[in-house]
Amino acid sequence: MSSSVAPVAISVRDIHKSFGPIEVLKGISLDAREGEVVSILGSSGSGKSTLLRCINMLETPDRGAVTVAGETIEMLAAANGKSRPKDRAQVDRIRSRLGMVFQSFNLWSHKTVLENVIEAPIHVQKRPRAECIEEAEALLAKVGIAAKRNHYPAHLSGGQQQRAAIARALAMRPAVMLFDEPTSALDPELVGEVLRVMRSLAEEGRTMLVVTHEMGFARDVSSRVIFLHQGQIEEDGRPEDVFGNAKSERFRRFIKA
Amino acid sequence: MTQPGILELLSFGPGGWGNILLAGATMTILIALSGYATGAVIGVFGAWAKVRGGPATRLAADVYTTVLRGIPDLLVIYLLYFGGSAAISAIGHFFGAEGFIGFPGFLAGMLAVGITSGAQHTEVFRGAFRAVHPGEIEAAIACGMPRWLRFRRIVAPLTLRHALPGLGNVWQVVLKESALVSITGVAELLRQSQIAAGSTGLPFDFYLIAGGIYLAISTVSSAVLHRAEHHFSRGVRRS
Repeated sequence: MSSSVAPVAISVRDIHKSFGPIEVLKGISLDAREGEVVSILGSSGSGKSTLLRCINMLETPDRGAVTVAGETIEMLAAANGKSRPKDRAQVDRIRSRLGMVFQSFNLWSHKTVLENVIEAPIHVQKRPRAECIEEAEALLAKVGIAAKRNHYPAHLSGGQQQRAAIARALAMRPAVMLFDEPTSALDPELVGEVLRVMRSLAEEGRTMLVVTHEMGFARDVSSRVIFLHQGQIEEDGRPEDVFGNAKSERFRRFIKA
Repeated sequence: MTQPGILELLSFGPGGWGNILLAGATMTILIALSGYATGAVIGVFGAWAKVRGGPATRLAADVYTTVLRGIPDLLVIYLLYFGGSAAISAIGHFFGAEGFIGFPGFLAGMLAVGITSGAQHTEVFRGAFRAVHPGEIEAAIACGMPRWLRFRRIVAPLTLRHALPGLGNVWQVVLKESALVSITGVAELLRQSQIAAGSTGLPFDFYLIAGGIYLAISTVSSAVLHRAEHHFSRGVRRS
């Protein structure tokens, strides 16, 4: 298997997270090598979105470590026994290497599509404006919405907004792309155009963690499938193995439903 | 003696009151602008305290807005001007000065207008911030924007979009409230009109003129605010 020689792009070690009395993540560990596309499946409440949000510290994990491209986010133990990031600047730097795509797109509504895409490269990464615009236009062409570059998000369909959001994330030249249920808020007829873009990213060798309900995508596009149940990994393997021959009865029921 | 016409009253030459009224109008705008700006700064911090502060900070902000919205603005001006003068006099006496030392009327007016409008600014900003879609702020966090950049590029413009109609109302209130500052003797528009009315015996004419000037100022500022609203609501889909 060729992926076994590629270096680890992202590593998650023993992540715990509780909301009040409810323990959502009970010690999740996961490595993704460069070029791997990992689909994270699970019923609602299984903790899959929380896992993704703990990786870029949108939620602070109570315990555990996250390493992106070799750099581990330094954590401190807080007084209540939970951890918190030691250095905000380090967290921001690592976030800029993780391209996040949200369920509800979250484009900045006061900026045009092009302005959305060049915002962080110019202001966070401090790259030259002309270069950012050139790259943004190439990305918008790639996701198929170059013609909408000067439109505001409110004038785009959901599928177009999500493709713009993918372009915005790609513009940061991220080490890893994180997708948090990218097609769940879309009308059924718009899901295909977003999945097509994601498939092309997978084919060009991008490292992707994808929280999804799209079984077809998980089976056909991903190199690895993880099934979360009640905050723990219950299945982890290549899609042909997991879908063809699941060890877990729960997963077999999950994919039948 | 014939009654002078309105143009003669407003003339800028000798015997005309144009210069004095213009100076008064300028002072009114200065008090209103400086008070409004003071209030806006207070409002940003007040809203921040209410949205992000701990229990103690939130309580302090709540007490501030409740008290300042519940007492007459004139009382605040009295407190600052006379209270401020008494305090300064006491400090002066401590260092050997004698007699009454006045708190500068302009400063008292600016602070009084600022503190009272600050309570309204706080509520306007707080409500506007609540109306911002949290996902847009989360997207800014997720791409590694540090706090100040995020505030400047994303949070502030999106908040202003929702705040501007409310801010326009606060401005109109502040403009009218600035007339209260005339009791401290600051030569703003109402005070100058009083003087003109008293020394010419033409109260009706001068108060009408003053009313016209107030109306002109608020009309022009409405137009400016309207343009600002248009600017900050770019990207909003009109149904």
